[in-house]
Amino acid sequence: MFGQRHVKDQLTAYAHGELPADESARVAAHLGACARCRAEFEEISYGIRLVESLTTQAAPANLWEGIEAALAQESFRDNQREHAARSDSPEKTARRSRRLGSWRLGSLLPGNLLNGRLAGWRPALAAGLVLLFVLGAGGASWFYLRSTRASWEVARLQGAPSIDADRMGSTGRLGIGEWLETDADSRAQIKVADIGQVEVDPGTRIRLVETRLTEHRLELARGRMHATIYAPPRLFFVDTPSAVAADLGCAYTLEVDDAGRSTLHVTAGWVAFETKDRESMVPAGAACLTRPGIGPGTPFFEDASELFLDSLAKFDFAGGGTDALQAIVAEARPRDTLTLWHLLARTEGDERSRVYERLAALAPTPAGVTREGIMRLDPAMLYEWKAQMEPTWMADSMPDMHGTWGNLRADSPTPRVIRKARNYLK
Amino acid sequence: MELTVAVTDERPVDTRVVASCQQGDREAFRLLFETHKDKVYSIALYFFGGDAALASDITQQVFLKLFTRIGQFRHQSEFTTWLYRLTTNTCIDEQRRRRRFSPLPDALGETPRGHGGASATPAAEARFMRLEIADSVRDAIGSLKPKLRIAILLKYFEELSYEEIAAVLNCSKGTVASRLNRGHRILAQRLGHLRANVLSGD
Repeated sequence: MFGQRHVKDQLTAYAHGELPADESARVAAHLGACARCRAEFEEISYGIRLVESLTTQAAPANLWEGIEAALAQESFRDNQREHAARSDSPEKTARRSRRLGSWRLGSLLPGNLLNGRLAGWRPALAAGLVLLFVLGAGGASWFYLRSTRASWEVARLQGAPSIDADRMGSTGRLGIGEWLETDADSRAQIKVADIGQVEVDPGTRIRLVETRLTEHRLELARGRMHATIYAPPRLFFVDTPSAVAADLGCAYTLEVDDAGRSTLHVTAGWVAFETKDRESMVPAGAACLTRPGIGPGTPFFEDASELFLDSLAKFDFAGGGTDALQAIVAEARPRDTLTLWHLLARTEGDERSRVYERLAALAPTPAGVTREGIMRLDPAMLYEWKAQMEPTWMADSMPDMHGTWGNLRADSPTPRVIRKARNYLK
Repeated sequence: MELTVAVTDERPVDTRVVASCQQGDREAFRLLFETHKDKVYSIALYFFGGDAALASDITQQVFLKLFTRIGQFRHQSEFTTWLYRLTTNTCIDEQRRRRRFSPLPDALGETPRGHGGASATPAAEARFMRLEIADSVRDAIGSLKPKLRIAILLKYFEELSYEEIAAVLNCSKGTVASRLNRGHRILAQRLGHLRANVLSGD
């Protein structure tokens, strides 16, 4: 029997090493004895050779822009649908939104969305259905959105807050462009569309900049506010004189002093504290400072040593340079890897290697993460290493997080620094 | 149960990035896109016989579907299996639709190609020959039946094992082996006239 049966159907699997050892041996033996199968094997090998000559082609550079545009469009529709279904409580809506993902297109994605090459009746019908849905179910709420969404409900918690210099009663509305002010004895609460709330402490001046389906934005000129947001990331922003706080699903306190310096304390989830070209990712339990003209400093845990915190302030805002970095590196505890990780992208050359050495000593690099890769700020390696460190950062900070916040612990957003690193590599 | 999944996962980067995507994190989406776009594009490009514009459309469609359905991904399979299944289905759906609306000849297109024509030097000739071969192979792959075509593209561009291809295509390993075998044989027959050039190519 052995070697008798022809093997022409197994030849590709044989060439690819996909046959079990005994089967492979049988094919080899048969090929030695059968000229017909040998000829067939040559043919198959030639076929394999042909295909192996093909190379992976680089996708055109502009594909992402089209995808992002389509996602933005869908995100807008999604928000409309959610607003149309306002009978649910905000929390329920937010939970549903998170569960389903904030950008679902599902089967309603028109195939010709991108450049019309793929037109067909099904996408057209689907697009029509979307339109009908928006016009029908969403139509009535559109007027509602136009007329009432442009202002937010404000409740007086204490004293006499004012809106655009008018003292408010027990409740009021804050329109776009209007300032809410609290004196030394008053406090107020702002309802942030359907996505959360902001408590405004005494001595605060805060303005509603924008409220759209895809973006809600406050400006904090001075004072202190506490935000609790239950919405997909990057829907709620607070401008301060020296940086923007972008909500990534979180709760936080933000304070601005008279000199325009701000302090951010995150109590749940993550906040990105950013300017045009600098970003700090601040997890629950950590804080971050900003200075006008400089932007956000490096995030840190406040229970770090005094020398660590002083040196970090010097490094971030006072040109502390190598000496300050030396002290930061020496004083860093395992939890301070949050700070060190951010410093990788804020240092160069020898300084970066010093940060790397300390970081590697405190948080061993995961498989696949190399010194060389980190030194050139490889985005995937930075991401992977950060993911490994996160449990250390989160350990003491989120003792009671389930329900709405529960899923925020597991994974964190990708920092913009990674995108910057990627651009840097180009 | 969840712990087991996390610990035994062989592709932690993908897994974590996917989880971030499920939180709606756009940077994670971008990372995922950058990591996989060339392979998805290459599959589409060779699936549609080198039509770059169509391959671009397909790539965008695949990632749009991916991003909007990512909430449904439950880590029951490898992420890449899911991604290539989406790619495969998008290519095959598009192929069906194009056939219905603007039928393409399913035979080997012998389109003449102008790679410089009158080449002077032997080096230039060799280069043109390589391009000629690449074009011919691409055309020949494009003329295979979609099932054979996609198996070959997954094998060579994604370097998937038979088991992984079987998972993507939802068929048995034996079926994968037989499709690849048929695909190679057809390619060898159709491009028999290039044999001397291919074998002397290196």
